[in-house]
Amino acid sequence: MIRKIVVIEDDQPILDLMGILLKKLGYEPVLIANGLDALTSVRADPPALILLDIMMSPLSGWEFLERLRTECNLREIPVILFTASPTVTEKMKKLNDPNIGILQKPVTFDELRTAIAQFLK
Amino acid sequence: MERQITIRRYQISHTDFVRFIVIASLTLSSILITAISLAKNAGAIYPQLFYFPILYATYFYPKRGIILSGICGVIFECLVYFSLFPDTLALWSATGQAILFICVALAVAYFTNLIRVSEARYRSIFENSLLGIILFDKNQFTIRLANQQVATMLGYTVEEISRIAFSDLFFSHDLQRRFFEHLGSGENIRSFETCFATKTGEPHWVNLSWSRIDDTVVSCSITDINAEKLARELAADTSTQYRQVTDSSPTGMVITEHTKILFANPAFSTFSGYGPDECTGRDITDSVMDEDKDRFRTFASRWDTPAPASDRAEFRFITKKGEIRRAVLYFTPIIRNNRPAGLVNLVDNTEWEEYRERVEQTKERRREMMRAVAHELRTPLQPVLGYLNLLLQDPQSFGVTDETRQILDRCAKSVDQERQIINQMLELSVLEGEETSLDYSVFSVAGMVNAVIAGGGYALKAEIAIDIPPDLLFEADRQKLSYVIDVLVANGVSYSKPPKKIWITYRGSPSHPFHRLAIQDNGVGITEAQLDAIFKPEGEGGTISSRENLGGPGLSLAIAKKYVQLHGGYISVDSIVNIGSTFTIHIPKKRPDKANHHDT
Repeated sequence: MIRKIVVIEDDQPILDLMGILLKKLGYEPVLIANGLDALTSVRADPPALILLDIMMSPLSGWEFLERLRTECNLREIPVILFTASPTVTEKMKKLNDPNIGILQKPVTFDELRTAIAQFLK
Repeated sequence: MERQITIRRYQISHTDFVRFIVIASLTLSSILITAISLAKNAGAIYPQLFYFPILYATYFYPKRGIILSGICGVIFECLVYFSLFPDTLALWSATGQAILFICVALAVAYFTNLIRVSEARYRSIFENSLLGIILFDKNQFTIRLANQQVATMLGYTVEEISRIAFSDLFFSHDLQRRFFEHLGSGENIRSFETCFATKTGEPHWVNLSWSRIDDTVVSCSITDINAEKLARELAADTSTQYRQVTDSSPTGMVITEHTKILFANPAFSTFSGYGPDECTGRDITDSVMDEDKDRFRTFASRWDTPAPASDRAEFRFITKKGEIRRAVLYFTPIIRNNRPAGLVNLVDNTEWEEYRERVEQTKERRREMMRAVAHELRTPLQPVLGYLNLLLQDPQSFGVTDETRQILDRCAKSVDQERQIINQMLELSVLEGEETSLDYSVFSVAGMVNAVIAGGGYALKAEIAIDIPPDLLFEADRQKLSYVIDVLVANGVSYSKPPKKIWITYRGSPSHPFHRLAIQDNGVGITEAQLDAIFKPEGEGGTISSRENLGGPGLSLAIAKKYVQLHGGYISVDSIVNIGSTFTIHIPKKRPDKANHHDT
């Protein structure tokens, strides 16, 4: 079974790239450009993993994560924060959630593979 | 000494002997004259003659004078009896006369005694007085009388001082002149401060008060105030010095009782905007800004405890003009007039605080900008890096030729290098913002170092000698410390020339509070001038970072330094040019209490 990965990213070139890379890694990417649509999509069809950009509008990555964690059937979905902001690491540490990982943009192909493999064995 | 005359075993003074002769002859002549006049029946009897010896004797020897008056009375009575018997009237008159002798003698003895007692009293006062007393002639200035006290005070004997003119006792002509002016005013002076000269010529401060006894003699009492005067002068001197210090001090100084100002120096006056007179009596609390008042009251409440300790705190104050000023208060308990008081030093740091705030703001803005720039740089790099990776991952399927692949490979390397530099910049800005916390864990140092060496492939580039006890454990952030080791080893490898050799040695001792891990190379070394610069993030490492082929430590050394500092430690460097460098990591064995103080 091919596992589904939702990518939430408002930067179109990156979104496109992630689609190609994830396919190459053997996953089924679902590409969504904003947080609100993503919530609807994730509720309708929970993925195996979410790659989440932080600096987005109208719904920021943190807000998305907060809402996701309030819904019991979505709480367990691993999330990789995919960000270019250097302060996210500290914030993430405070959440102290083993189902949350981090990838600092820009990532190499190998880094992406390793990070996903951590959650999806 | 009075001359003595010895009769049998009695010693009789010369004066007494003469007086005895006088009294005896007066008595005898009185008896003879009375007897002769009675015998010749002259009619005139001179009983008054007897008063001469009686008065004389009674004045000098009261008791014996009374006895003498009795004897004279009896003799007179006998003489009259013998000559005039039985003239009853004359006999009664003689008896009355004899009784009068005794009465007069008794009266004289009584009054003489009174005079003696009071004289003795005055004499004892004069001699035993704590005051010096001098009687002097106000015209001749000769000293009539001076007591022991005066003599001792000025270092003379009583005899010596009696021969000196009173005017010569003064220390200077000026003082002498002033004394005469006062004396000439004719009034009795109660207190006149002046200075006498001792026998050896030293000044000696005295307080005089005098009164005239008669037209010529003045009685002058002298109080020794020398010690007091010297003490007062010293105190005045000390007080002047203190005043100079407090007046010229740029620090505000206030003496308080509770929080009430008893004294404020000019610096405090300038700080508060209130004049020196306005300050006295004010409550410091009134000058403290409303927001800080509660905190100040708590601070000041500790001043009134039985044993207050020195204390300091910073507050904002409102000046008279309404300006806000910041100052640090230093409280020190003191004793003033035998009562506890407080000495409050006040250091105005308004400008310093403003400056510090400005620097902080500038720093923060710089960090913000750096973050924003780095963020904007990183995002567009993602597609470049991603697509390059994609092409290189599977060149055949994209129809990439070998030549193109080599070009793309170079591009990928450059992009990766840029990515690392940006990441380091960001890491440093985060570290400078002190937003980083450490993930402490306990791990084997040898294991960690070996992992770093293996991960970096350093064993292939240089000979690595590791000397770390295998069971040694660190409590630290393993990831960050690994980074530090990695940077220092990479640095050592970069700056060495073949045959490259790196020593990694543990140099701790059980008693030392720090773990010390030394990383030594046999490289080019670092000059004194470069030492300060190598950890600077700006890459001001001069010649080091200019050695391009060696890759330059760039920002990594600065990050490594920060990581070690986060642990409460530091990195030290010893280096000899062309021999090698030793970087030593000092990490406290005990984890600092506030290692995660940014978690809140």
